[in-house]
Amino acid sequence: MTSHDVREMLNLPGEGGGPRPAKKQKTSIARQNLKGLAREVQNLGGDNPIAIVPEISSFKKRRFGSRKPAARWEMRPFRNSARGDESLILRHWRRKTDVQPPAAPQPEQQQNGQPDEDKMDADNGESKPEEMEDSSFAKFNVKVDVPQYSEDQYNSTLANNDWTKDETDYLMEAVRDYDLRWPIIWDRYDYQSKDGDASTDSNTAVVQARKARTLEDLKARYYEVAAKMMAVQRPVQYMNQAEYNLHEIMTSFKPEDEMRRKKFAEAQMGRSKEEAREEESLLLEVRRILARTEKFNQERRELYNRLDYPTTETTQDLSTFKTSNGLHTLLQNLMTADKSKKRKSLMGTDGQSTPASAGPSAQPGSTPLAEQRRESIAASASGHGHSRHDSTASATDARPEKPTKKGAQPPERRKLTEQEELTYGVSTHDRLPSGPTFRYDRINKILTTKSNAQHARITNTLNELDVPARLTMPTKAVVDQMEHLLVNIQTLLDLKKLSDKFDAEIKLEKAKKAEKDKAAGIVPQPAASESATKGSSNGDTAKENGAAKKDGKKAGGDAVTSSTEKPAAGHDANGDKDTPNKGDEQASAEKPAGESTGADEEKAAVKDAQDKDTTNGVKQEIGTGEEKEERPSSSGGQKRSASVLSSVSDKSAKRQKK
Amino acid sequence: MAQPLTTASVPTDIYGGDEVSALVLDAGYCQTRAGFAGEDVPKSVLPSFYGSIKDTNAASGSRNVFGEDYIFARPDFEVKNYMSRTESVVEDWDTAVQVWESMLLDRLQPERRQTQPSKNGLNDGADGEGDVSMEDAAASAENAENAEKPLAESPLLMTEAPWNQGKAREKAIEIAMENWGCPAFWLSRTPVCAAFAAGKASALVVDVGGANTSVTAVHDGMILKRSIQKSHVGGIWLSNQIRSMFDSNDPKIEVRPSYMIESKVPVDAGAPSQAILRKLNYELHPSFRAYEDERLLTEYKESVVEVWRGPGRYSNPGNEELVKTQPGRIFEMPDGSNQMWREQRFRVSEGMWDETAQLPTASEEERITKAQTVPELIRACLNAVDVDLRPNLLGNIVVTGGTSLLNGFNDRLNNELMAMYPGMRVKLHAAGLTTERRFGAWIGGSILASLGTFHQMWISKKEYEENGAGIVEKRCK
Repeated sequence: MTSHDVREMLNLPGEGGGPRPAKKQKTSIARQNLKGLAREVQNLGGDNPIAIVPEISSFKKRRFGSRKPAARWEMRPFRNSARGDESLILRHWRRKTDVQPPAAPQPEQQQNGQPDEDKMDADNGESKPEEMEDSSFAKFNVKVDVPQYSEDQYNSTLANNDWTKDETDYLMEAVRDYDLRWPIIWDRYDYQSKDGDASTDSNTAVVQARKARTLEDLKARYYEVAAKMMAVQRPVQYMNQAEYNLHEIMTSFKPEDEMRRKKFAEAQMGRSKEEAREEESLLLEVRRILARTEKFNQERRELYNRLDYPTTETTQDLSTFKTSNGLHTLLQNLMTADKSKKRKSLMGTDGQSTPASAGPSAQPGSTPLAEQRRESIAASASGHGHSRHDSTASATDARPEKPTKKGAQPPERRKLTEQEELTYGVSTHDRLPSGPTFRYDRINKILTTKSNAQHARITNTLNELDVPARLTMPTKAVVDQMEHLLVNIQTLLDLKKLSDKFDAEIKLEKAKKAEKDKAAGIVPQPAASESATKGSSNGDTAKENGAAKKDGKKAGGDAVTSSTEKPAAGHDANGDKDTPNKGDEQASAEKPAGESTGADEEKAAVKDAQDKDTTNGVKQEIGTGEEKEERPSSSGGQKRSASVLSSVSDKSAKRQKK
Repeated sequence: MAQPLTTASVPTDIYGGDEVSALVLDAGYCQTRAGFAGEDVPKSVLPSFYGSIKDTNAASGSRNVFGEDYIFARPDFEVKNYMSRTESVVEDWDTAVQVWESMLLDRLQPERRQTQPSKNGLNDGADGEGDVSMEDAAASAENAENAEKPLAESPLLMTEAPWNQGKAREKAIEIAMENWGCPAFWLSRTPVCAAFAAGKASALVVDVGGANTSVTAVHDGMILKRSIQKSHVGGIWLSNQIRSMFDSNDPKIEVRPSYMIESKVPVDAGAPSQAILRKLNYELHPSFRAYEDERLLTEYKESVVEVWRGPGRYSNPGNEELVKTQPGRIFEMPDGSNQMWREQRFRVSEGMWDETAQLPTASEEERITKAQTVPELIRACLNAVDVDLRPNLLGNIVVTGGTSLLNGFNDRLNNELMAMYPGMRVKLHAAGLTTERRFGAWIGGSILASLGTFHQMWISKKEYEENGAGIVEKRCK
């Protein structure tokens, strides 16, 4: 059954009736070729003949088939024209040719090369040597051209103080003998001055002394001679390009440079292991750097390619995208463009997200497990959310957290109200620390990072406030409050330190002033000094109040939010709340009383508190001076402030106790 | 029609070969090899040691027998060597001619002898030994006179040590031309041949032979004479190291070659031998004992001795301890005593590399100096050649010679050279086949003599007649 039949059965158009007979013919031809193959088997191939090469097993037949007589071989003498003497006749086995009469070379007669040749010469004069084959290897005999010079030429052009003609001849001979192989020439160079007569005795002695010629000396002399002889035979201006180049090379040979090069080469050979290793590592480094730049370049090129948006033929016509089909093709285009750029990572999430993104809106419970787990990890790592809430809430809420990964189709996200966020325990973070942490650790971290003395002070303060250093129930809100509290305590302690410092400074200044006054002979005025001290203390407290107020505001704000949730901490915070509230009270009370002065004073105090500089001491004095003037006018304010003062001083006394 | 080429029509030219039925002769101190050019192994390998039998009935003196088969215990028998121990060049020319003739004529061309039944010794009833290859000096001289020259059809290529002297070279061509009537002759140096055997025209040839170790630089098929370095560190030196080791061993180990043993019984390792020794009713020449000892020690070297492969010297701390933990080798002496050899087998060969590690020797001249160790020889050799050649030579180091077959020799050599020339490419070329390593020079000669391009090099008989023996100095450079 041929494929044509199949087509007919299936009503496929296929090819018409035209090509059919031709095909049939072809197959028939193929069949004829393949003998020994069952017709059925051959039919299996259909139109295409089966590609079976018939095995030919006629190995032995052929071997015995050719019953030609064995080839005859003979020892045939030959000569080698490359030889100097040409007399040596060697013999090798060659196939006997019919042209040559078999009797011609008689092995018995050719015992010896020499008599054999004589015999042949005698036998048939000139014909026989011509017949004798020449070695096919004779053509490989090449000789170098060594410059020739006559006595006159030597004397006119080649004379050299360092070289006698004799030695030059010797050198040329060596060059010819060793075919310009300089290492060998140098190795075998052993020139013994021939003329031992008295006249040149001193001369030869000198030559003997520096007879150890270096390879460079030999080369230099040879090139000198060769170049000069070249120029003699054909002047430089008439030389052709190749000759001129050769001449140029030979004349520019510098033995000193060559020697220096060899010295370098020798030094390079004598490197130590470390040097060699270092060089190797440096080379490796260079190679790596080069490879890296190449990679970098490639990446940059890739980036540039990526920056070219995928050119789709439909970008101009937006109407094509208005149908879902068009959108689908666009997506496909983008994906193939991505694929061609080998952006597999993006491709992967993109391709998967398409079906998954539709999921959550339809059935929130069926989030992929992996994502859910990741969500809960993130929540516990943050230490804010309640993981139990998360696991149920994340199905819907978590999705919006990574909109960037959704690529082409950002999924719908429901905006949670603040209330909902609170109840679900959802919190957003800019950055999450890696891995889960304990909330309690955050408190500990604040405490442990402080120095020992500071740590002791903080715990003292906490004790004072009746807040246990270890939280019994570290919920999110409690921990937050505790954190705030600790920060505030820290600030408080800092300010306390500052105020102590200022006190000390003021005392010092006063002592100085008293000294000065004493020196000036002024009778000390106890009242003035008293008021000064009072004022100063007042200013101090005001400053203190400002700081406390600042702190208190924060703490109070916290307390409001946290009051519902923390039974223990909230209660503790109340103690703290007292002072800031009072501070507030004082500030509000002062404002109406001495509007201009009180506000000014307070501002100055606050400013002082903020700039924690030593220069404040000066300002402070100004502040006190101001107060001195103002006090009489605003008695009511003072009274109130006095009451506050009492409580504050109470507090400061408490602090001093510490 | 693409037909497979028959052997008849295969162009041998593409290999550059052109056989002219040349003979190749390579003489060394321990062995002499002879064979046909173009073959890969010498047909005939004889020890250079020969037996000299004192004739009891005649006053003429002695007659010589050649070949391992004829060296056995008998009265009035002395084992000699025609080569010089220190130089590895021919010392006793008369015997050399006999040895060579017995090889080139009798062993390589036996049919030649058969044509002359009166001469072949088969019919000589007089000497009961029936030495076919025995060559009588007088007979051979007579031979040379009346018969046509025995080697008139075959060019002869001989090898020589690189330090061979002009006199010896002239003597060689004289023998070839006058005695044997060779149509052509050539003298080639062993390092060149060894380099050719490795397929290289330029190489640094490290030839670690029986009597000598030589390091020679070969450039373009010619040795560089200044680079020749020679030392007696070789197989025989190693044997002496082994003797020294045997002597210092506790209990002392006796070297008893098998000819001394009548019968032996198996004994435990380390136990004294219980062999019954053979009693000879005649006195043996000590040279025979020495020869037999050497054979036994050679066997020991082949089967036990190993070279510490490095890196570093064997004497470096820790190496010996490491070796002691590894399995050793058992060697059983002909007398049945056997022992496991562990660290000793490394210690004997260490002197080749580190002169401080050599064992005490019997004579002072046996001691080697630092300059005679193998790495130092190579260093000296390289320092004597042009700087430009050195990298190429280091990249083409040909290791040849029978003693280089010691286990680990090449590894050690490689390590030493890498340490000596860091950053250079060091490449050793050592034939894998033992025959190729042992007969490296002969194989190279075989290649050379069968090359078509070599035919223009031969010194022909005519040239010899015209120029005299001095031509060999002029041509074979």
